[in-house]
Amino acid sequence: MMTPGSALLRHAAFAQVSRTPADVFDNLYLVFLVLGTLVGVVVISYTVYNAYKYRASDPDAEGRYDVEETPPEEDGDGVARPQVGEIPTGSGKGGGKKLFVSFTISAVIVLGLIVYAYSLFLYVEDTNQLYDGEDTEDPLEIQVVAEQFRFTYVYPDGTTTEELRIPKDRPILVNVTSQDVMHNFGIRELRVKADAIPNQYNEAWFQAEETGTYEAICYELCGVGHSSMRGEEVIVMEPEEFNDWYDSSEAEKAEVSG
Amino acid sequence: MGENGHLPPKSNIKRWLVTTNHKDIGVLYLITSMFFLVMAGILALLIRAQMWAPGATVLDPGGYYQVATSHGFLMVFWFLSPFAFGFANYVVPLQIGADDLAFPRLNAMSYWLYLFSGVLFGISFFQGATFMGGWTMYAPLNAPAFIPNYGHVGSFAAILALVMFTGSVTIGSVNFLTTIYRMRAEGLRMRDIPLFSMSILLTVWMMLFAFAALLGALVILSSDHLLHTSYFADVDGNPSSGGSLLWTHLFWFFGHPEVYIVFFPALGAMAEIVQTFSGRRLVGRKWFVIAMALVAIQSFIVWMHHMFLTTINLPIKTIMMVTTIGISLPFDLMVFALIYTMIKGRVRWKTPFLFVLGALLIFIVGGITGVFLGAIVLDYSFRGTYWVVAHFHYVMASGAVALIGALYYWYPKITGKMYNEFLGKIHFVVAFVGFNLLYFPMFVVWETPRRMFEYSAGFTFWHRVASVGAVLFAASFVIMIYNLFMSLYSDRVVDDSPWAYTGSTEWAVPSPPPTENFPGTPSFTSGSLRFLEGPEATDGGVEGEEATPDGGQVTAAADHGEPHPDHASWWPVFAGSSALLAGIGLSGLSPSMFVWPFLFALPAFVYFVGAVGARRDGFTVLHGAFLSASFLLLAVFIALFHVTQGIITGLESAPTYFWLALAGAVLGVYTLVRLGFESFYVPEPTSSAQWPFGEVENTKLGMWTFLGSDIILFGAFIGSYVFTRFEFGWQDWWHVAHEVGGLEHHPVWPGLLNTYILLASSFTVVLALVFARRGVGTTEIGPLSVENRKLTLGFIGTTFLGACLFLLNKGIEWVDLYFHQGWTFNADIMSSTFYLTTGLHAAHVVIGMMLMLFLMVRSYTGAYQGEDEARTIEYFGLYWHFVDIVWLFLFPLFYIL
Amino acid sequence: MASIKLYTAIFGVLMVLSTMQAALEFTGLLEEFYVPIMGVMLLLSTIKAVSVAGWYMHVFDEPRAISYLAIAAVIGVLALIAGAAYSIT
Repeated sequence: MMTPGSALLRHAAFAQVSRTPADVFDNLYLVFLVLGTLVGVVVISYTVYNAYKYRASDPDAEGRYDVEETPPEEDGDGVARPQVGEIPTGSGKGGGKKLFVSFTISAVIVLGLIVYAYSLFLYVEDTNQLYDGEDTEDPLEIQVVAEQFRFTYVYPDGTTTEELRIPKDRPILVNVTSQDVMHNFGIRELRVKADAIPNQYNEAWFQAEETGTYEAICYELCGVGHSSMRGEEVIVMEPEEFNDWYDSSEAEKAEVSG
Repeated sequence: MGENGHLPPKSNIKRWLVTTNHKDIGVLYLITSMFFLVMAGILALLIRAQMWAPGATVLDPGGYYQVATSHGFLMVFWFLSPFAFGFANYVVPLQIGADDLAFPRLNAMSYWLYLFSGVLFGISFFQGATFMGGWTMYAPLNAPAFIPNYGHVGSFAAILALVMFTGSVTIGSVNFLTTIYRMRAEGLRMRDIPLFSMSILLTVWMMLFAFAALLGALVILSSDHLLHTSYFADVDGNPSSGGSLLWTHLFWFFGHPEVYIVFFPALGAMAEIVQTFSGRRLVGRKWFVIAMALVAIQSFIVWMHHMFLTTINLPIKTIMMVTTIGISLPFDLMVFALIYTMIKGRVRWKTPFLFVLGALLIFIVGGITGVFLGAIVLDYSFRGTYWVVAHFHYVMASGAVALIGALYYWYPKITGKMYNEFLGKIHFVVAFVGFNLLYFPMFVVWETPRRMFEYSAGFTFWHRVASVGAVLFAASFVIMIYNLFMSLYSDRVVDDSPWAYTGSTEWAVPSPPPTENFPGTPSFTSGSLRFLEGPEATDGGVEGEEATPDGGQVTAAADHGEPHPDHASWWPVFAGSSALLAGIGLSGLSPSMFVWPFLFALPAFVYFVGAVGARRDGFTVLHGAFLSASFLLLAVFIALFHVTQGIITGLESAPTYFWLALAGAVLGVYTLVRLGFESFYVPEPTSSAQWPFGEVENTKLGMWTFLGSDIILFGAFIGSYVFTRFEFGWQDWWHVAHEVGGLEHHPVWPGLLNTYILLASSFTVVLALVFARRGVGTTEIGPLSVENRKLTLGFIGTTFLGACLFLLNKGIEWVDLYFHQGWTFNADIMSSTFYLTTGLHAAHVVIGMMLMLFLMVRSYTGAYQGEDEARTIEYFGLYWHFVDIVWLFLFPLFYIL
Repeated sequence: MASIKLYTAIFGVLMVLSTMQAALEFTGLLEEFYVPIMGVMLLLSTIKAVSVAGWYMHVFDEPRAISYLAIAAVIGVLALIAGAAYSIT
C-alpha cells in the first residue's frame, strides 16, 4: 500500500513535524478540535435558527391538537406539503441544490482532514525511520508482557523489571504481548498505546521529552482486577542516569527498584 | 375475519398470550422494551454512583463489571432494537397497506423468544454472577478458563440468552423482509414506501446478515464453554494463537452494522416526524434513501476500524479508514436533508418534534466526534477512554431520544388518546439538559480509562457533574411514564390523525386502528390511497409448513371443532418458554450430560408427530409405525445413556438443570409439532406479483431469506476455520496433526462417501417434488403402476434414509477419530474447527430429518399431491439442497486440502 | 420445471465431479502444486454448488432477485473471510 503518493504524503508530514507521537497527537487534536467545534457550532446554530424562523405561530385548530392544514392551492411557497395517503414524489422547490452544496463542503472538510491525518498516521506507523537518523541513537527496544493484572518489561539484555525505566529524548520501541487475556498497554501523557494480545506481537513507539514518573495503564477490560491494573511505574531518566542503571548488575537494579 | 378474529378482548390477559396480531405484538414489544430500559437505566445509575469518586466505592470489582456489561447488553440488545421494532410491528403493515405481517405466528414467536431471552439474561444474575467481560465479550476473557468459578453458569446463561435473542431477531428479519416485499398495497412501489418503513427494510437486511455472524460467534463461544473446544482458550487457560483476533473480527463484523441497526429505525422516525412537523416533504428524499442504502451496504466493510490497535497490517488499516470515512459522508447528506426540510416549513414545536430536534443536535455532536476517531492517530489515543464512551452514547442515545419522539408521535395512534403536551415538553427539557450534563463532561475528562472505576482525582468534579446529569436524565423518564399512563384515562380522544400534514397510510385509519386495519383493500393504483370494496383478505391456508389448505381432509372433529383458521395461537408463547427452560438447563450442565436431554427429546418428537398426526388426519399404519419407532428409539437412547453414564447413577446425580433442560426440550418438540399441524390464518398479499420478487410466494421468500442468513452463519464458521488455519500456517495444518498430534490419517473416504450420500439425497428430494406435483393418480414405471402419493412418500423416505446413512458414516468416523485416535475436541485447534464446523452441518442434517418425519406422515395421507400442495416439499427441498451445498465446500476444505 | 431426465443427468455430473475431487487428491498433485490444485478443487465445488442451486433449487427459473439475495450473502461471507485473513498477512 506504499504507493508513491503515500510516500510523498509521509515526507510532507516529516518535514512539518518530525516529532514524537505525543507532539503529533497534540497538533492534530488541536486542529480537529478547532474545526470540529466550528463546524458543530455553525451547523447546530443553523438548525435551531431554521427551526425557530419557520415556526408556525398559529394556534391549534378547533378540536385538534395541531394547526389547520393549508390547502395546497393556497400555499404560495411552492413546497410540497404532505397529504394523507399520498405517494411522496419530490419536495417541491428549494433545498435540492443547497443539499448538494453543503454535502460537498462537508465532504471536502472531512476528506481534507483525513488526508492530513493519514499523512501523520504513516509517520507514526513507520518504525523503520527510527533507525534512519544519522545523528540520533537507535531506538531502545523493550518487550512489554501483560498478564492479569500487571505489566512486565524485558530489556534487550534480558533484564526483566516491573518498572519501565527509559531515557528521555530517545525513541522507545515497545513490542507488546500478553500471557493470558487481551490487555492494552498505554501511557497516557506519552501517547503510546497498543493492544496486548496473546501470541501476537504489537509494535508501537514513543519518546519522552521530560524526566519524571508516568502512569502505565491497561486500556482493555481484562478481568476482575482490571481497574487496579495501573501504576506510576514508568520512570523517564536522564540518558546518563539511565545508562548507569542499565549497566549496573541485576542485584543493584533490584536494590534501586526497592 | 370480522370482529376480533377469534381473539379475546384486550382486557383479558389471555388475549396477550395468544395474540398474533401485529398491533398487539407491537404494543407488547414497546412495553417490554421499556421495562428493559428501566432495568438497564438502573444499572447505568449504579455505574454513575461508582464513578462519584475514584475506587470501588459502591460495588466490588466483580459487581461493577457485571453491571457495566449488563448495562451494555440490555441497552443495545434488549432495549434499543426491540423498542424500534415495537413501532415497526405496529406501523409498517399500516404504512404499506398490509393486513398483518406475512407470518403472524412467527411474529408472535419472535416476541416471546425476545421476552424470554431477556428473562434468561435476568436469571443469569442469580446463578452466581452474570457475564462480566464487557458487552464486546473480548476473547479469551470470554472463555471459561478466564471466568471465575462462581460466574461460570451465569456467564454461559448470558451467552445462551444472546443466542436466543439472535433467534428472535432472525425470525423477525425474515418476517419483515417478506412482508415489505410481498404485502404492499397495489400500486405502492418499493421506492415510494414511507421513510420509516424504508428504514426498517434496510435495518432488517442488516439484521439478517449481521446477527447471523453474531450467532456464529456465539455458537463457537458456547462450544468453548460446553464442549471445551479451544477456539479462544483451552480449559487450562492457554489462549489459542489467533483466537483473540478471530473474536474481534467476528464480533465487529456484526458489531458495526449493529450500530446502524439500532440507529436506522430512529433515523426513519426522525424523517417522518420532521416531515410532519415541518409540514413539508423531505428534501432530497431520493438521495436520503440512496444514502441510507449505501450505509447499509458499506456497514459490512468497515469493521476493522474497531481494531486499529490490534496487530492488523497497515494496508488493511488504510482500507478500513477509507471505508469508514466513506460511510460518514452519506450521514452528512441525511442530516442536511433533515435540516433543509424545515426551511419554508410550518414548524410546530410539539413534543415529538422537540425530541427529534434534540436527537438531531445530539447526533451532530456524535458525528463530529466520530470523525476524530476516524483519524487513526487520534484513535490510538482515544482507544479505551471515555472519548469513545461519550461518542457512542451521543450516537446511540440520540437514536433513543429520537425514538422517544416517535413514542409521543405514534402514542395517539396506538392508544386513541392524546398525551399531555405540557408534561411532554417538560420531559424534553429535563431529558435534554440531563443528557448533555451526563455525556458532555465525558468529553472534558476523556482521558479517564473506560471500564475502570479508578481515575485521576482531578477528574472528580466532571464525573460528579455527569452523575448528576444521569439522575436528571433518568428522572425525566418518570415524567414520561406518568404522562403516558395518566393520558390513557384522559378525555383527549383523537380521530384518524391528530397531527396536521401527515402523509403515510397509518393516519388514514381510526386511532387505534381496528383489528383488520383497513375498511377495504388499500390500493395506490390511482396515484393515492383508496380503499377498494370487497373482501380484503381471504381466509385460508395453513401457515409455515403448509402453504395451502389441504383438499378437504380437515374434519371438524380432528381439528378441535375449529373449522376456520384462527388468529390466536398458544404455541408461540410455548415455544418461547420451552426455549427458556432449555436455556436455563443448558447453562448448568456438564459436557458429559448436556446432550442427553436433547437426545431424549428426539423420540418424543417422533411420538408427537405420530400422535398429533393421527388425531388430525386419522390413524394410519404409518402413524402406528411412528409411535412404535419412538419407543424403540427411546430404548436405544436409554441403553446408550446406561452405557456411558449408568442409568441409576446418571439419573440420581442428574442436577435440576438436567430436568429443566429435558422439560424444555420435550415441550419444545411438542410445540413444534403442534405448530406444524395447526390450522392458522394467513394474510394474503393484495397482489400476487410484487417487485422485485415477482410471484415468489411468501413462504418461499421467507425460506430464501432464512437461507441467506444461514449462508452467513456457515460463513462465520468456515471463515473462523480459514482464519485460524491461515494464522496457523495454511499448509502445516494437517501435517502437524499427523506428525505432532499423532493423528494417523485423515482419510478422504468418509468425506467422499458422505458427499455421494448427500448428493443422492438431494436427487431424491427433487424426485419427491416431481411426483407430488403430478397430483393424485398413478405413474407407470415399467410394468408397474404406482400411486404418485406413494412415490412422493417413497422418495422422502429414501432421502431420510440417506440422511441416516450420512450420520451413521459420520458417527463411525468420529468414533474412530475421537476415541481410537484420541483426537478429542480440545486436542488441538485443528480438531476444534473440524468437529464444530462439520458438527454444525450435522445439526442441520438432524433438523432436516425432523422436518422429513413430519413430511412423511403428511405425504402418506396425500397432503402434498398437486401443483400447489407440493410447495411444502419444494420449501423443504430448498433447505435440504442448501445443506447439501454447504457440504460440497466442507468436503474439500476438511477432507482434502 | 425440468424433466426427470435432466435431474438425473445433473446428478450424474455431480457424482463425477465429486469423484474427480477425490481422484485429484490421490494423484498426489496436491503435494507439488498446492495452490493451483486448491483453486481447481474449490472451483469444482463451486460448479457443483451452482448446479444444485440452479436446477435443484430452481434458482434459474426464479426472479433474479432471489439470486441477488443469495449472492449478497455469499459476498458478505467472502468479505469477512478475505478481510480477516488478509489483515494478518
